[in-house]
Amino acid sequence: MAERLKAAVIGAGVNGLVAAAALARGGCEVTVIERGAAPGGMMALGLFARGPHPAALEALGLKPGALGPAIPTVALCPSGRHVLVEGAEARFADGSAHPGAERWRVLSRRLDRFAAALAPLLTGAPPPMRLRAEGLPGLLRFALRLRLLGARDMRELLRIGLSNAADLAADALPEGPLAGLLAFDSVLGSRAGPMAPGTVVPLLLRRAPLRRMEGLAARLAAASEGKGARLRLGAGAARILFEDDRAHGVLLDDGERVEADLVLSSLGAAQTLALAGPALFDIEAQRRIGAIRAQGAAARVDLDFAAPPRLPGLDPAHHGARLVLAPSVQAVEPAYDPVKYGRLPALPVMEGRIDGARLSLTVQCVPHDAPRDRIVAATLAALETVAPGLGGEVRHAGALSPADIEAMTGAPGGHWHHGEIALDQFLTLRPANGMARHAMGPPGLFLCGAGAHPGGDVTGLPGLNGARAALEAMR
Amino acid sequence: MSRAPSLSGPLPGPFHPRLEAASTAKDWADWAGVLSPRKLDATGREYFAIRNQAALIDISPMRKYRIEGPEAERVLNRVVTRDVAKIAPGRVGYALWCDEDGMAIDDGTIFRLGPERFRLCCQERMLTWLIDAAEGLDAAVSDETEALAALALQGPTSFSVLEAAGLQVSSLRPFDLAEPEPGLLVSRTGFTGDLGYELWIATEHALALWDRLIEAGRVFGILPAGMEALDMARIEAGFPMTGFDFQSIHAAERPSRGRTPFELGLGRHVDFAKGHFNGRRALLALKEEPPKRRLVTLDIDGSRAASGALLYRRGMFGRWREVGHVTSALWSPTAKRNVAFAEIEGEAEGADLFAEIYLFKEGKWERRMARARPGPRAAFRPDRARATPPARR
Ligand SMILES: Cc1cc2nc3c(=O)[nH]c(=O)nc-3n(C[C@H](O)[C@H](O)[C@H](O)COP(=O)(O)OP(=O)(O)OC[C@H]3O[C@@H](n4cnc5c(N)ncnc54)[C@H](O)[C@@H]3O)c2cc1C
Repeated sequence: MAERLKAAVIGAGVNGLVAAAALARGGCEVTVIERGAAPGGMMALGLFARGPHPAALEALGLKPGALGPAIPTVALCPSGRHVLVEGAEARFADGSAHPGAERWRVLSRRLDRFAAALAPLLTGAPPPMRLRAEGLPGLLRFALRLRLLGARDMRELLRIGLSNAADLAADALPEGPLAGLLAFDSVLGSRAGPMAPGTVVPLLLRRAPLRRMEGLAARLAAASEGKGARLRLGAGAARILFEDDRAHGVLLDDGERVEADLVLSSLGAAQTLALAGPALFDIEAQRRIGAIRAQGAAARVDLDFAAPPRLPGLDPAHHGARLVLAPSVQAVEPAYDPVKYGRLPALPVMEGRIDGARLSLTVQCVPHDAPRDRIVAATLAALETVAPGLGGEVRHAGALSPADIEAMTGAPGGHWHHGEIALDQFLTLRPANGMARHAMGPPGLFLCGAGAHPGGDVTGLPGLNGARAALEAMR
Repeated sequence: MSRAPSLSGPLPGPFHPRLEAASTAKDWADWAGVLSPRKLDATGREYFAIRNQAALIDISPMRKYRIEGPEAERVLNRVVTRDVAKIAPGRVGYALWCDEDGMAIDDGTIFRLGPERFRLCCQERMLTWLIDAAEGLDAAVSDETEALAALALQGPTSFSVLEAAGLQVSSLRPFDLAEPEPGLLVSRTGFTGDLGYELWIATEHALALWDRLIEAGRVFGILPAGMEALDMARIEAGFPMTGFDFQSIHAAERPSRGRTPFELGLGRHVDFAKGHFNGRRALLALKEEPPKRRLVTLDIDGSRAASGALLYRRGMFGRWREVGHVTSALWSPTAKRNVAFAEIEGEAEGADLFAEIYLFKEGKWERRMARARPGPRAAFRPDRARATPPARR
């Protein structure tokens, strides 16, 4: 390579930052183009992060230990007998033994083994539909891991992989907050209920311990810059430029041109297509992109009190823990149902955290354009089931509907994953058939955001995989 | 009234009352949901009208789409493989189009009615395809199939017929179009390779146009003709037909039935320099590979049409090796040659081929292996088809 390749990355969310670091490490001169005033993208809306994934951390030059301590989860119960969960361990929040603890441990270990078997599928492009040489190493590693699972586990993985989280919970756990937590984690961020096929998959992607989100965006940005990426904040991409049917750079809102041999977009496929102009795409690709299901169902709610709010049965020592209000599988599924018809459920499910006098929440099962005051009211109604009278103490309440989040971040439909995680939008079919290897449309254009394989959460994997695919294509 | 194929069978088209009256054969077929004559009387007579006089053929079942707006040219350029910018207003151009893998969907003609107004005529239903192609572009797409009746007037006296009907088209060169009267569009186009015109008019004026042409054409031997005569003429003229000589990839259940423009011998209609079009990247890669198969024209010994025949070459130890099949075949009465379209393996091109023809002789089938040699693309290509002004007859 006589001259260094130039790469432009659109978006400085977790995936743009990881992609930039990986590209810089691969020898590119990288510019990250971010419309917002600060890096991090949707991380600003999140409360807890399980990542970035070790492979993404490595690209950033960060050590897993540097992310701070893991925090526990408290699964809230209207009875006040909340359940404290730390990885595979579960007990009542008051320290007493939980009758489902052993079953929780067995299930957790099993899911950990399955997740390890799936791991090779996540850190590279998914195996292609038509087998070609470049897909083989990943596939072989996957096949080997599957074999190592042993016949019984392998059969079980294949069975539950296509099944749903509600059935898994019903088989493995007593109904109650632990089963509710499993169901909640299976659909968090999705527009789906735990009875939807394919909901076990997110559980397998969410095995890592949780940490606080605060400060993470700034650290990732600094690490990416440390690897040589140049961050351009407050610079919106107006168009992706092409020359001779190759990506050639990015035109910024203010008219400046950023030249590049590679353009990686961490936006949704539809948003990327719009920036590139549909005429550069085959009609089939445009149709598939138009058909991607991306309607967010998660809202952000912040409640301010005069003093730290008290939840009966919750030790203030656990205020910093992740609080999950999804008291049973039977509570999660009906919370989802009304969303199908564009209605708010009476009792949505949620996770949150108490910081001083503020209770911050991600509220699940919210229709795309639900009014903010109605989101707050439904949130309070659900909270009252574990803390009667809490609503009366709220001094100030703020909410962001998926539509608000879409307007703020540009995320398709305001969707947590930039596109539903479902069997028809996963692996080879993510974000859409023919685009799973991150390349999209004209040569030199790649997808590297949550909408790409393997999906959202703060993992950095779509960013890493997108950068790898781009570097490979230039070789 | 919808022309979608329905349980009640094909529906009558805009010329049906006249076709019905002219039909002695009562031999009807379903052409894109429209009741269409295979022949009205005798195919041979109708064919000779095309070659020696003038034939009037209802081509209304062709799909007709209007693409209009400042970016109409871009919409079409996104779809078809040729450069639409090279079709001037008042001109008609041949075009074909492909799916994302570079496999042909259909071919047809693009009428440039004005700088920003086009009509696309073809066999396959393309409405949603065109609407999607227009996404993000400033152009409107509509289906004119039902609203517009179309007649092909083909044959050496066709110019004289139009003149006698009072239509001034003497200056029309091949692939020109004009509007000699408000609402009546005439293009010097056709599917016969002969002198001929196509006439386009709002459905409600269809019958009056028919009567006018028949009346004016009486002294010039005009004859209504059916699909079989037209099919004979197009095979002679060397025009492949979607659904017969190749399968539209949109209609094929088996992806392996898809054919590239290169395999169809239509590579010259692929313009890589014009910017992106559907399937361009796939075609660019395919261009480098020798085509797996070729659609060729053959000259076959004997006079028995080789319809459906399998093609062989001699392999090792004199064994026959199958290398392709005939897709359309005809004993050409005008060229006095036994011609065929055939699809053969790429590496069999230029080799000595034999067509396996079965003859039914008084209750007994006989097999004949007839020599098949490469033939010209068009078995019949008269100069009169290109002379402007055309000769009066
Ligand atoms: C309410 C909510 C809560 C969440 N909570 C959590 C959580 O607790 N834990 C977790 O792991 N995940 C959470 N997520 C999901 C997680 O935030 C996302 O999956 C992840 O951050 C996606 O990262 P990304 O880099 O792919 O995309 P984004 O973070 O969306 O980044 C895209 C970036 O592109 C920028 N951009 C958009 N358009 C342009 C343009 N034209 N030009 C330049 N820049 C542009 C945006 O400003 C943004 O910074 C949450 C999501 C939501 C909606």
